[in-house]
Parts: sequence; structure tokens; C-alpha cells
Amino acid sequence: MKRQGEETMKVILEGKGLMKWYQMGEVKVEALRGVDFQIFEGEFVVVLGPSGSGKSTMLNMIGGMDQASAGELYYLQEPLHLADEKKLTFYRRHAVGFIFQFYNLMPNLTALENVQLAAEIAANPLDAATVLEEVGLGDRAGHFPSQLSGGEQQRVAVARSIVKNPEILLCDEPTGALDFTTGIQVLKLLKKFQQVYGKTVMVITHNAGIADMADRVFHMKDGKLAKVYGVEKPVAPEEVSW
Amino acid sequence: MLKRKMLRDLMENKLAYFACLVIITIGLMLYTSVNIVMDNLYEARDTFYEEARFADGFARISGMPAAHVGRLASLEGVEEIEGRLVKDVRVLYPDAERNVYLRLVSLPGEKSNPINTPLLMGGSPLNPDGRELWVNPAFFEAQELALGDEIPLLVEGRSVPFTIVGTAQSPEFVYAMRTGRELYPMPETFGIAYLPFSVMKTLFREQDRVNDLIFLLQPGYSFAEVEERLKPRLENYGLISIFPRENQASNMILDMELQGLEASATAMPLLFLGIAGVILYILLKRMVEQQRGQIGTLKAFGYTDRELVLHYLSYALLLGFCGGILGGFLGIWLSFSFTEMYAMFFQLPGLGSQLSYKYVGLGIILSFIFSALAGYFGCRASLKLQPAEAMRPAAPPPGRRTRLEVWQFYWNLLTVQGKMATRNLFRNKQRSIFTLIGIMFAFSMMATTWYFHSVSDLLIFDQFEKVQTHDVQVNFIRPLSLKEMERELGRFPGVRRLEPMLEAPATLKHRWLEKDTIILGLPHDAFLYNILTDKGERVDPPRGGVVLAQRLADELSARVGSELYLESYWIKDPLRVKVVGVIPQYLGSNAYMEIDALNNLLGLGSMATSALLAMEQEAIPHLYNHYREAEPVAAVEESGALLDTFDELMESFGYMQYVFAVFGFIIGFAIIYNSSIVSLSERKRELASLKVMGMTPGEVLQVLTFEQWLVSILGMLAGIPFTLMLMHAISQALANDLYSIPVRVEAGLYIVALLGTAFSILVAQWTIARHLRGLSLVEVLKERD
Repeated sequence: MKRQGEETMKVILEGKGLMKWYQMGEVKVEALRGVDFQIFEGEFVVVLGPSGSGKSTMLNMIGGMDQASAGELYYLQEPLHLADEKKLTFYRRHAVGFIFQFYNLMPNLTALENVQLAAEIAANPLDAATVLEEVGLGDRAGHFPSQLSGGEQQRVAVARSIVKNPEILLCDEPTGALDFTTGIQVLKLLKKFQQVYGKTVMVITHNAGIADMADRVFHMKDGKLAKVYGVEKPVAPEEVSW
Repeated sequence: MLKRKMLRDLMENKLAYFACLVIITIGLMLYTSVNIVMDNLYEARDTFYEEARFADGFARISGMPAAHVGRLASLEGVEEIEGRLVKDVRVLYPDAERNVYLRLVSLPGEKSNPINTPLLMGGSPLNPDGRELWVNPAFFEAQELALGDEIPLLVEGRSVPFTIVGTAQSPEFVYAMRTGRELYPMPETFGIAYLPFSVMKTLFREQDRVNDLIFLLQPGYSFAEVEERLKPRLENYGLISIFPRENQASNMILDMELQGLEASATAMPLLFLGIAGVILYILLKRMVEQQRGQIGTLKAFGYTDRELVLHYLSYALLLGFCGGILGGFLGIWLSFSFTEMYAMFFQLPGLGSQLSYKYVGLGIILSFIFSALAGYFGCRASLKLQPAEAMRPAAPPPGRRTRLEVWQFYWNLLTVQGKMATRNLFRNKQRSIFTLIGIMFAFSMMATTWYFHSVSDLLIFDQFEKVQTHDVQVNFIRPLSLKEMERELGRFPGVRRLEPMLEAPATLKHRWLEKDTIILGLPHDAFLYNILTDKGERVDPPRGGVVLAQRLADELSARVGSELYLESYWIKDPLRVKVVGVIPQYLGSNAYMEIDALNNLLGLGSMATSALLAMEQEAIPHLYNHYREAEPVAAVEESGALLDTFDELMESFGYMQYVFAVFGFIIGFAIIYNSSIVSLSERKRELASLKVMGMTPGEVLQVLTFEQWLVSILGMLAGIPFTLMLMHAISQALANDLYSIPVRVEAGLYIVALLGTAFSILVAQWTIARHLRGLSLVEVLKERD
């Protein structure tokens, strides 16, 4: 499947024969069994698959949190599979923003402070207050996570990732713990980030409805990339349904 | 099965529990060893005093016919009384660098078991007619003597040869010092020798007179009662002093040592066990929080509360038990070297280490109690959980603003990491306070240790550079007139300056308090012995009134302006003197007056008992040689020689200080390490999220270390007043008539303690950094809180 004008698009991430296995006691568990892919700058990718299909493993590798057991992974020609811990930290710090299913905010920092914390370590950060305003939480800046709803917490988490001004936003089940309406709000923010800043967004979910708003969809099954297809007309987040 | 779970849980945090174990072990090691040493000392002392019939009372007189002594035995309350001759003489070693002295003590020949019987340790009985001596074993060894050796003594200006036929130890000279100036026994220059009265009386001009009395009390009578009856009878014989066993120099020092041991036998183990207890409490509390799921499951299976509490208690008890056993046996082992060390200073026959398991048992019980308490309070929370509730994760800790945030100025200075750390401190106040107290202890332990390490230098420096600036002190056999002194020493080659000194033994009384002391008479322009105020300013010896050493003033509860009564054997009726000054005096505890004024007061004319000399170093040996056998000099003391031996002693104690510095380090490390381990396990998720955000392990560690430094700095600040308190307490406990330890605070001291504490914190954090690097991001973030 080729999209129009693909030749002119820049490959931001490329995986070649990625494999990952874990030694669980005496059993060898294969999480990824040879995955090849390319992700282009500025696209919105949704990875679908049942639990245990290897999608989180792949995301962790792309996010620089985990190393492949075999195969190659490049970020703008930089071999991540050869990177040491120091380089991976640098990569996470400046290139990647991560959003989790369970937000993982610092419980004793306010919303604004959580965002500032990320801004402090980035090379080229956006303004924390502005970003918090953009996710619609300007008036909740002084609240602690325990005083925020799940959707609000996730929006703080999004703001925290965006404020670093990363090239790629990686989201692991970002709506998994949210109800439908708040889930849509979060998806809108992700789409906005992709469109306004022209950055790459990768979302992992087992919610097939979200795939409708993607540029491309990866289907994972048994540690392999079963199917990759482009979406002709990605819908707006508001139109997504599940 | 639960046992296996316990062992694996322990292994998971092995360093944390190990640190805790080390602290318990240290506490019990101290408990066992100090108690055993104490028992050994008590046992050896009591047996020895009993067997040797150690006197209850002592009196010094100028002279009394030996035949008169028997009359005193009929006094009410006196069980037995003996008279004897006690005289210091010089040993005539032809080429000794220092003067060597022997205190000759006469023994009644006719009595088989006299008071203060010297215990014959080796050799043969004394011949009642021959020139034979027994000497004390320490002297015998230090002088490398052999039985049958002949040593020449300078008696009344003549050289008299004596044969050493045995070694003997008397309860009176367990801690044998010649004067108060030595601070500790120096058998290289001073020993005790025993000889029959029948022999000794032929050597001295006293002839058939005795100058020393020792007596035993009848049961039911106090020393004071007997003193009252004895005193008037002795006045005619020139009573110099009369004092009970408690004030006898050797016994007093032994008692003080035992009191010191008793205090540390209680305080040290409690301190260490207390710290270990709190660490255990925190570790267990966290483990119970972490294992709520497991607890819920076990409860759902049907495990009873009792079984669960026992399970968690068993962690603490296992540690307490291991620490108890380990500490107990290490303590026994340590008690051997401790006892040996004491045997070097205290000549107690029969002082040896007994293998005693009593304290191992008691120690285990003690450590059991501590760990059971810590364990119970740590795991009590697990009881309250209902199974269903237990299996649900605990509610997340709410973030809260802290009171500090009111100070906008400070708050705005902080980075977001700093804010997070500050709020964390308040989030767990209990643990923060414990960490603070622990760091305070570690800091103070290091500061105090270091202080007592450096204080001896300070003391010596002060004493010999500022107070006693003379090169040589010459003591006379009898008081000399100033003219005689001048004639004798003034033109001795190499003498640059000569100053007289009158040392007058006296009793000072203030209200109902009284104290025996020596009044030092110094010339008003004294240059070789300086009276200095606490600010180091020189005070002229007063012509009217006395200046008192701080300790003496304290004991008499006298102040500037107080009126004292002065009694001395030179005067008949007590005199009134006014206190005109109080000065710190670290070595000794004296009163001071201008020498002429003191002479007048005592009706002596113009006398000196010693001379202080500033002289050329090369000339000192000539002085020694010249006065080796000549009247009227009793002793020549060189300041430098005393300094050297004092240094030696301090070095032998030196290793103890390092041991305590290491203890301080271990405490600091254990506290920071454990609080880090607990924080780490509580906040794994937070820290992992920070790592995912792209913080380096170093930056993540900073979040933890920032709050530790914050608490630690507060702890060290709290340690400053605490150290002062501790030093005051220790210096008060250690002070005696021989020396008192000043509490002087210098910034350097705190800097050393700060560096030591900071080092222990850094080592702990470095260990934690390794844990942090191993933190698996994927696994931590996958699980739900």
C-alpha cells in the first residue's frame, strides 16, 4: 500500500526484523517475531491488536524504553538498537513524548508543575502555561492530580508530553481508562498536535474505532505485523465512535 | 511456606536489613562486652579488696611514735589501725634519661595479715633484717628487672643498695600515680616498693616514727563518725590529711572508670537498638503496605490475623535474634581485649576475662524486645485490613501544599524537582523526622568523637605552651627559703630564669562543702607558670584572696566574692580568704595566690617547695646528673618528657575514636540507605515516569537526594546544639580532680563532622543510584498502582 507522494516524505522511524523475547523462568516468551516498518514524519499511526500481540513491546522499543533482542531500529538514520543507556535517555528527553493509560503524573506536583517539570529538561520547550491552556486546563493549573478527574489528568499528561516539543508522540492506550466523551477530548488534542505542529503521533489501542482517524493503521498479531493499510480519508476525532 | 516467603523478602532488600543487623549487632556487642568488662573489674576489685583487707580510712601525719598507734585502736568505731612509713625515694640508675622514683611503704613485720596486705605475686618473703624489697609488678616489668637484682636507692642523700626478692600488689596502688600531675600510671618512672618497718625505720631520720595511718572501721560505723574522734587525737602529730577509701586516689579512679562503664553499658546499646528499631519499623511498615495484595490473598485463604502478624513479626525477630547472637559472641570476643586493655592501667590481680554467656542471653532478650516492638508497630496495619479491601490497591497519596509554600520567596527559588522533594518531606513527616534525628545522631557522634580526639592536643597545647611555660620543675625535699633556692639553682649553668613556687596542701571550706587541694603560690611577675582566664588573659596571682580553678569553685559552689575557710597543717586556726577569681584549669584543680602573701598567711616566712626554670635544652641533662644524688632536690621534671608520654597514652586510645567514627558512619549510611530504599519502592512509578520523560538516572536520583539533603542539613543543624549538649554531659561525667575537659566549640569540628556525615550519605546514595539504574521502565509502568 502506498500513499500518494510517499516518495517525498521523510522516514522518521524504521524497523528491520525487530525481535524481542523474554526469558520467563525456563520458558522463552517471544513478544516480537520479526517486524519491519517505516513511519513517516508528520503522520498519525494507529496500532491495533489484541492484548499479547506485541504492540506495547513495539511501542516501548520505539520509545527508547526497551532494547530489541534482534533486528535494527533507526530514528532518522540513528541506530537505536546500538544506542547505550545514555543515548537512549537523550533520545527520550528530546525526541519522544510518552502518554500512558494511567497518566503517571507526579502526585505531589500541581498540574502546571507537572508540565513545568517536563519543560525543565527539554532543550526547546514550549511555554508550560500556554500548553496547559491549550489542553483546556488553564483554570486547573494549581490543582493536584488527586483533585482532577481522569480525563483532566490525561490532558495534563498530554500537555506534559507536548511541552517538550518532541518529534514523536507515543501513546499507550491513552483512552483506555476514560469514558467516551473524555476519550474524544484527548484524541482531539493528539490530532491537533499532529496537525498544528506537524509532528508524528503513534497511538496503540485495541479500540478499532480510533483507527478511523489515522493516516495509517498497523495490525499486530502474534508478535508480527499482520496488516498495514492507509486510510483514504481520516475522519475528525469528533466523528470517531466505539 | 511463609518462612520461605520471609527469607526471599529479606533477600530482596538484603543490604537494608543487613545495615539494620549491623546496628543491632554493634549495640549488643557493646552491651555484652562492656557489661562483661564491668563484671570482671568489679569481681577482681571486690575479691582483691576483701582478701587484701583494703583500708577504710587513711591519714597522713608529720610523725608519730610507732608505739602510740596502738592507743588509737581503742577509739570507738576503729576495728584496727596501723602506722607505717611512706616515703618517695629516687632510684639511682647511672644513665637513666629520666628520674625513676620508688614509693617505699613499710610493712608491719609482726602481723601476718595486715591492712592493705600486698599480695605476693612472685618471689620470696622479705627478710625482716635484710635490705630486701618487693616491688609492684608493673614497675618490675617496665624496668625489666629480675628477682635477685640489686637496685641502689637514694635515701637521705646516701645510696643504699636493695635486693628485689619479689613482686607484690597492694589494693592501694591498683592505679599507681606519683602525683596528680601524671594523669595515668607511668611504671617507667614510678613504682611501689614494700619493705619491713624494722628495716625502713633505720634508714630515715624519723627513726621509730610513722607518717601514715591506715585503719578499718567496725561494722556499723561510718567514716565521718570515726574521723570526728580521730582528728583531735592526730592534731598533735601534725595531721596533714585524713580521708576515706572513696577519696583514695587509686580507688577513686577505679570507681570513676566503673561509673563511666556503667553509663555507657546502658546508653550505647539503647541508642543503637533504638535506631535499629526505627529502621526496622519503617522497613516493615513499607513492606506491609506493599504486600497488601498478598495479605488480602492470604486472609482470603483463611490465614488468621495472628498468623499474619507472627509472620511479619518473624522478620524482625529473626533479625533481632541474629543480631543478638552475633553481637553477643562478638561482645565476648571483644571483652577479652577490653579487659586486657584495662589490665594495662589497673593492676588488679585476678583481672581476667571470664567466659560469660549471661549477657549474651540478656542481650538476645533485649534485642528481641526491641525488634518485637518495632515489628509489631510496623505490621499492625495488616491486621486492620479486610481481605477484599486488602486486595484493592491503597488510595493514592493526595498531593498537598505545604506550609513552606507560604514563603513565596523561598518557594520560587526551587526548581520543580525541588518543590516535589519539599512536598515529599511533608508527605511522610514521620519518616522525615526519623531521618532528621538519625542524621543528628550520626553527626553528633562524629563531632563528639572528633572533639575528644583533638581535645587532648588542645589540652596539652594549652597547658604546656601557655600555662606551664617552664622547661623544668625542680621539687625540693623540704621547703627551701628563697635565698637557699637562689643560691642552689640561680647560678646553675644554662638557667635563664628561675621562679619559686610554693605548693601548700590545704582544705578549703565553703558553707558545708569542703575540698582538699593544693594552693599554688606564685610570684606576682610569674612568667613560667601563668594563670589564664577562659579568654586567655593573664591574671596576676592575687595578694589578697585566692583564685580558684573552675572545678574547685564548682565543688565548693563558690563564686567570686565568696568567703572560704582555709585549713592547713601549718596553721592552727582556720583562716578566712576571699575568692577573687575563677579560672578554667584543665589539668589539675588548684587554688592560686601570690607566693609572699601565701607565705605570710601560713606563717612560713619566705619559702618555696619547687622552682620553675627556663633553661637551655642542652643544660637539662647536667641538671639531672647534678641532682641525681644531691640534697635538697627530690625530683627534676622536664615538661617535654611528660608531653611525650601523654601523647603515647592518647595514641593507645586513638583506635577507639576511629571505631566510634565508623559507628557514626554506619548509622548515617543505614538511615539514608533505608529511607531511600523505602522511598524508592513507594515511588517506583513516579521515578520511572521521570525516566521515560527523558530524565537521566542522575536527574532522577536528584529528586530523591534533594529531599535527603534537605532533611540531612536540618539534621546536622540540629546536631550542633545536640553535640554541645553531649559534649557538656561527657565532659561533666569525665571531669575529676586530675583533669577536666573543656567544651570548646570550633567551626573545624563541625566541618569534620559534616564531611563525615555527608560522606556516609553519599555512599548510601551511590548504592541507591545502582538500584535506580536497574529500574525496569517497562515493568514498572505496566502495572497499575
